[in-house]
Formats: sequence, C-alpha cells, structure tokens
Amino acid sequence: MNTAVGRLVRAELRLMTRDPLVLTFVFAFPIVTMLIIGGAFGTTPDRAFEFTNPSHWYVASYLTVVIAATGLVMLPVHLASYRERGVLRRFAAAGFPRWSFAAAQLIVGLVTTAAACVLLLAVAAPVYGIPAVHDGWRVAVALPLGAVAFISIGVLLGSLLPSARAAQAVGLLLFFPSFLLGAGGPPPHVMGSAVKQVAGPLPLTLFTNAVREPWLGLGSATGSLIAVAAMAAAASVLAARRTAL
Amino acid sequence: MVVDGLDLDVPAGEIVGLIGANGAGKTTTVECVQGLRKPDSGQLNVLGFNPVTQAEQLRPLVGSQLQDSALPDRLRVAEALDLFSTQRARDGGELLEQFGLAKRRRSVFSSLSGGERQRLFLVLALLNRPLLVILDELTQGLDPAARRNVWAAVRQLNDEGTTVLLVTHEMDEAEALCGQVVVMRDGRVIDAGAPADLVERHASTAVIRFSMPNPPAGLMDELRQLDDVREVSRAGSLITVRGHRRIIAYVGAALVRWEPVPADLNVDVPSLEDALLGLLNGHQRDQAEPSWAASAINHELIGGPQ
Repeated sequence: MNTAVGRLVRAELRLMTRDPLVLTFVFAFPIVTMLIIGGAFGTTPDRAFEFTNPSHWYVASYLTVVIAATGLVMLPVHLASYRERGVLRRFAAAGFPRWSFAAAQLIVGLVTTAAACVLLLAVAAPVYGIPAVHDGWRVAVALPLGAVAFISIGVLLGSLLPSARAAQAVGLLLFFPSFLLGAGGPPPHVMGSAVKQVAGPLPLTLFTNAVREPWLGLGSATGSLIAVAAMAAAASVLAARRTAL
Repeated sequence: MVVDGLDLDVPAGEIVGLIGANGAGKTTTVECVQGLRKPDSGQLNVLGFNPVTQAEQLRPLVGSQLQDSALPDRLRVAEALDLFSTQRARDGGELLEQFGLAKRRRSVFSSLSGGERQRLFLVLALLNRPLLVILDELTQGLDPAARRNVWAAVRQLNDEGTTVLLVTHEMDEAEALCGQVVVMRDGRVIDAGAPADLVERHASTAVIRFSMPNPPAGLMDELRQLDDVREVSRAGSLITVRGHRRIIAYVGAALVRWEPVPADLNVDVPSLEDALLGLLNGHQRDQAEPSWAASAINHELIGGPQ
C-alpha cells in the first residue's frame, strides 16, 4: 500500500503505539476506571441503573469513553503539535494531497479506537462479563457513527487550537466533564435535575445513550442516534475543510 | 505585502541562490514556489505547473528542505524514508550512507543532533529524484566537515541535471555552489547575476597590507602610479594599498621587484558578502531608482523549458 494515505496510515499507526498520551488515555484510562466504577456499584440490578446490572451498565458505556478520549484528548494534541512544529508543512511540501492527512487520521483513529474497544471488552469479559446485546444493528450503527463524529471533532480541534499545550488544556477540559456527566460517572437517575439538564445534550451523553440503551435493551434511543449521525456529518465536513494542508 | 513585483527566472539545471537580509521575502518566495502560500497576484510557473492550482502534479517533482519544520519525534529514520518514498524513489539506504546516517536508521527523530536532522531533511528532499530541489538554509547548524559533504552532494545533484533553488544566509555557500545569485530586499529583486559579477559590480575594492619599516621612495611612487590603485597610505611601518581587485597582481609584481618581499603580506579580496553589503547599502541610497528587476512584469519561471 504505497499510496499517500497508506504511507501516512502506516507511519501514524506505528507512532500511536509509541505515544504515552495514547497509551494512557485511550487504552489504560478507560479500562482502569471501568474496573473501579464497575466494581463500586456491584452486580445486583439496581433502580438507579434502570434495573440492570451496574457493572454491565458501565461495560456498555465505556466503549464510548475510549472513542471520546481518542477524539477529545489524543487527536487534538497530536495534530496541534504537528502544526506547531511544521510537520504538516513538511507533509504538504512533500506532495501529500490535501485530503490525505485527514483521511489518514480518520482511519488511524478508527483503528485505534477499535483496538482499544476490543482490549476493554477483553478485560471486562472475565471480570464482569459482557452484557448481551439486545439490538445489535443499532449498536453496530451507533459505534462507527460516534467514532467518526468524535474523531472529526478531534481533527477539528487540532486544526483550530494554536498549540499542543492549548489542545491538551481544551481537550482535557472537554473530556472530563463529558466523561463524568455522559458516560463514566454516576447514572442519570441519581443526578440532580440541573446537572441532568446540562448532561443531556452533551455529545458524549447522546453517543453513550445511542450505544447503551439498545445494547442493554433499555430503549431504541432513536433521537440520540440521529443526533450522533448529524454530529458525524457536520464534524467530518468541517474537519475535512479545515485540514487542507 | 511581503513580496512585490518579483521577477525570478531559474533556468533548468542551474543552482540559483536567493540571498538578502532577514525579512527580505526569501522564504515567502519559496513558499509561493512550493504552493504553500498563495500569491495575491501575478503569475507563477514552476516546471510548467501553477503551484497553487496544480499542486498535486507539481509537488512530487519538487524536493524541499524547509526552514523551521520537523518530523514526528518518535518516527525512526528508516520509517521517515518509507513515509516519504513515492514510486519515483531512489535507494534510501544509499542516500543514508552518502550523508552519514546509515548507522542511525533505527534512531528516532528526537534523538538526532541538529546536523543529523538537516542531513535527514536533505536525504528526504532528494529521495524521489526531484527535478527541482528547494533548499532553505541548507547548512544551518552543520559543522564544517558536514557542510562540505552537503555541498558535494548538491554539486553532484546538479551534475545529474537537477535544478536547485538555494535560500541562504551563508555567502560562502552561495559563492561556492551557485551559478546565479538573486539578491532580494523588501520583497523585491534588487540585482542578480553570477557571484563574481555581483562582486565586480558592488564590491570590487581589494585591500593589501604589509609591513616595511623603511620603504624605498621608489616603491611608494610606483604603487601610487599603478593602474586602478585608489589609495596608498602609511601608518608607521604598516602600508595599506586600496584599489580594484586587479591591483593584487600589480602590487605583488612591484613588491617582487623591490625586494625584500614583506613576510606579512595580507590581501582582503572582496567577497559576495561584501557585495551584498555594498548592494544593500547602495540600494538604501538609490532606492528611488528602479532596479533591473523591480520594474519588470510579474513573471516567475523555474526550471521550465528553455
């Protein structure tokens, strides 16, 4: 695969495996926090978790945490650092087509999140078990749509923020509240009404609903799925425009 | 406006230097040539392509060594070759060998010294058999031996028919490598020509100094009467002769006739650096006069058909 995208994907995948930020936030952080919080609430079905097993609730929620960490933390820092240090200029001058870098980042982001999700499920399986998937096609549609949305948001942030430090600051500021309110924190039923109102429209909340509800058989989450699809479309178009090298 | 009214022809197969003070617009010019920056107006033609609208056809034919750019920190040298190799690529291993990087194949970019990074950028610029190579501050940070190696590589590249556009602050580099030099100031070309011609036009004064405690009166008279000598002065035993560089031979011949020849004979031959300084200072004085290029139409042709 000696096309420009192929060469970029090959190099970027190698670099991902050597990046401590990726290994920490995309691979280690979701697994460690899932093990902690999944264990904290036990395995007995509970009203706060819509009468599902709490640990299964978190297993079904944490795939979106992996994807959000890739989009909000890993990619913005990675891209802003490239732009700040002149790496993108070098790619442009070397003849990589304008669209190739964005395409490569999308592919690398998808591969990275897929690998991290598989690892998370492999760790969850012997500890909490993998919950049965009630509505497989909705989950199968929501996950890639959400991945495209968050990866595009990451590319967009990386192209807008002026430096790697700024990208890290903004990325973490976006990620942690989203993570606590929309996926890895307390379930919505125990949140106060004001917090619930803030959490409801967050992109990660919508994405997590679109995956968790059909997975655990809690509903179809059609509204959330449509919102995720709209985010994916809008963010990918904007990201493609911004990443013209 | 950084560059204005620039007229720059780079004939195919030549090494052309772009020199000038900081902020003259040299890097902006090469960024336009590479299609990294869009000119507000004017015509730009590189190897027969428009760098903005035909970037995808042009860029594979151009090798660039950019100022202020980098590679990903954790990318290994061999992986960089893989990343930048197109169908036109030559054997990267040979280039690494030629530039003394063969032993660093597995080293990551962040572990390379400044000189090694520069050499790697040069390897990457040459990797895909470019028809035009743009080298921006080529030998910045290199030790003298590494500079000479890089110069030899550029000459070899040019012998193979590659056109080279060299942006540099190192006048000895421009003098050693370039067949033509273009001098820029405030975004305009203020003169151009072979280095020797620029020196002739803007810094032709040579200065010869030697010690002679009791110089014969006949020698002093003869020195004053030599063609092109402008000034002969004496301070104690130190005698200074100023004039066109042709006087070097005449003064040498006169000293041989009036033995003993002084042991401390010192000759300051004007260089391209002197020419640049003379040109920039002169240009400051004569800014109202249009230079040969500033009044020309906007037209840039690099390495195109001759």
